[in-house]
Amino acid sequence: MHYTFQIERGNFTDAGQASSSVKRTLKQLGVAPANIKRTVVALFEAEINAVAHAYGGTIDVDIDGEKIVMVVADEGPGIPNLDLAMQEGWSTASPKVREMGYGAGMGLPNIKKNTDDLKIETEVGVGTTVTMTVYLV
Amino acid sequence: MIPEPSFRHSLRVNDYLCQGCTTCMRSCPTGAIRIRGGKAIVSDNKCVDCGECMRVCPHKAIYIKQDDFGRLLNYKYRVCLVPTTFIGQFEEKYNTRAIYSCIMKLGFTHIYEIEHEMDRVVKLYNMYMDEHPEITTFISPYCPAVTRLIQVRFPSLVDNVIHVRAPLELASRVITKRLMDEGARRESIGVFYVTPCAAKIAATKFPVSGKETYVAGVINMDFLYNKVMLLLHDSDKSAQPINHALTSRDVLWPLSGGEASRFKGAHYAVDGVRNVLNFLERLEDEAVDAPGLVEMRMCDQGCVGGVLCQQNRFVARKRLEYRARLFERLERSKIREAPPAEDDILTPEMIDNMTIPEIKPRSIFKLNDNFAEAFKMAERMKKIEKALPGVNCSACGAPSCAALAEDIVRGDARMDTCIFINRHSQASEEAIRSIWGDRVRTKEINNDDNKNQ
Repeated sequence: MHYTFQIERGNFTDAGQASSSVKRTLKQLGVAPANIKRTVVALFEAEINAVAHAYGGTIDVDIDGEKIVMVVADEGPGIPNLDLAMQEGWSTASPKVREMGYGAGMGLPNIKKNTDDLKIETEVGVGTTVTMTVYLV
Repeated sequence: MIPEPSFRHSLRVNDYLCQGCTTCMRSCPTGAIRIRGGKAIVSDNKCVDCGECMRVCPHKAIYIKQDDFGRLLNYKYRVCLVPTTFIGQFEEKYNTRAIYSCIMKLGFTHIYEIEHEMDRVVKLYNMYMDEHPEITTFISPYCPAVTRLIQVRFPSLVDNVIHVRAPLELASRVITKRLMDEGARRESIGVFYVTPCAAKIAATKFPVSGKETYVAGVINMDFLYNKVMLLLHDSDKSAQPINHALTSRDVLWPLSGGEASRFKGAHYAVDGVRNVLNFLERLEDEAVDAPGLVEMRMCDQGCVGGVLCQQNRFVARKRLEYRARLFERLERSKIREAPPAEDDILTPEMIDNMTIPEIKPRSIFKLNDNFAEAFKMAERMKKIEKALPGVNCSACGAPSCAALAEDIVRGDARMDTCIFINRHSQASEEAIRSIWGDRVRTKEINNDDNKNQ
């Protein structure tokens, strides 16, 4: 099963629709609540990252008989230092984003914690593609 | 009394009055209602007894089953367990003693105010919260419809619900033990609870805890209100509850916020079906950061918004706030003594009896126990949903096109129950097209999707 969603820069209020749709399907499949939670939390974090930092992008979700693969691809500034970005508490979020309660530097570490496989491809000035995999059974 | 296992819900449909108008079906937060044979039917597994269907029914066709009032006479000691919500139904000019005297005249021998137990209940909540440092957001177990909603729609949140039984269970136990200490036999004591809603009846008759209850029966609040109103004009003020006086905080407990405000840490009060659904949805996604205690009531304004409350919820709220201020003045001027310290002592037996061992998730979304089969069904459901018009007209007897798609994959409905797809004549097709325009689908439907039934 395949889902595609659009990401709009700075639109925090509408973020979360992708994770809500995916959550609904995973509940239908009878996936264990803990795995649903991991998936939804990771997807939401990745979406918020793109909303906060990028100029726009897409979310592609594929669910098959054993796993869910979520690809969040954005056009944006890219991540200059991925090692730093993976550290808890490190953030480049603007004061405006922080005012909204985001940008605490927990995004990527939280995604890593909640997924079974995480791949980040990034190029400064071009964009970032985050590929997350969660095994469902 | 051991709960009757067959009694799962208190809400019933009167087939004679039901017009199959779909109003209830569209308002149900769990999608538990379908129209079959022109009447509303309620799914046992999905219903959480919130009472929304009864609230919106324009034909008064949905009612709450209550215990036969005559059962009172089976007991020598007849205790009326009253929540302050009931007092909020009456004008401030009526003294609570006058209201209680009317209740006694109806055949009760004792009055006990449930909110008297709230200090103990708050202690029990705090114990659970202290025992579970790994949980960030705790959800109050007070509204039984919320607990059931979480079980069926938000199974990942079951452990966030504080595993403590309803205060009325503690109150009925306390009063039963007390009467037994005074020499009464257990079988001769009948504790009857006055309920503002359907959920509390279901929770008493079919408790999530699976434990024994000391409540012998439940009386609908509107029924008792009518009886008391008839007697109130010439009531004396002879009766008073056998518990110690309530505090001003106790009086406010049933109102939205009345529970949360008793907690020292961060607390939130969420009320109303839509707000509760939205909050739980966001909490499940960890998209809302709410460390602390969340009080949740399915009814707007809390229990004064219960479907069996006669009085307008805002008026009832104001009346309780007035009484609370009065109590506060009495407390401050020391006219009224503070309740004795032993009133909030918790014995190990009480703690044991009030603990819910496990709140089991029972998801209503799961399509099949077999993952591969569920996967196939979910895929097909997605396809069917796309083929349906998406106007949610409910003419198929399901609340939405998405619900019909689910019914089809479960084998409970057919693709051609959709009137947009199954049009018998050119005239009917044109009539529908004139209303819905291009949403009307052509007659080509996938034969696979019609194989059910």
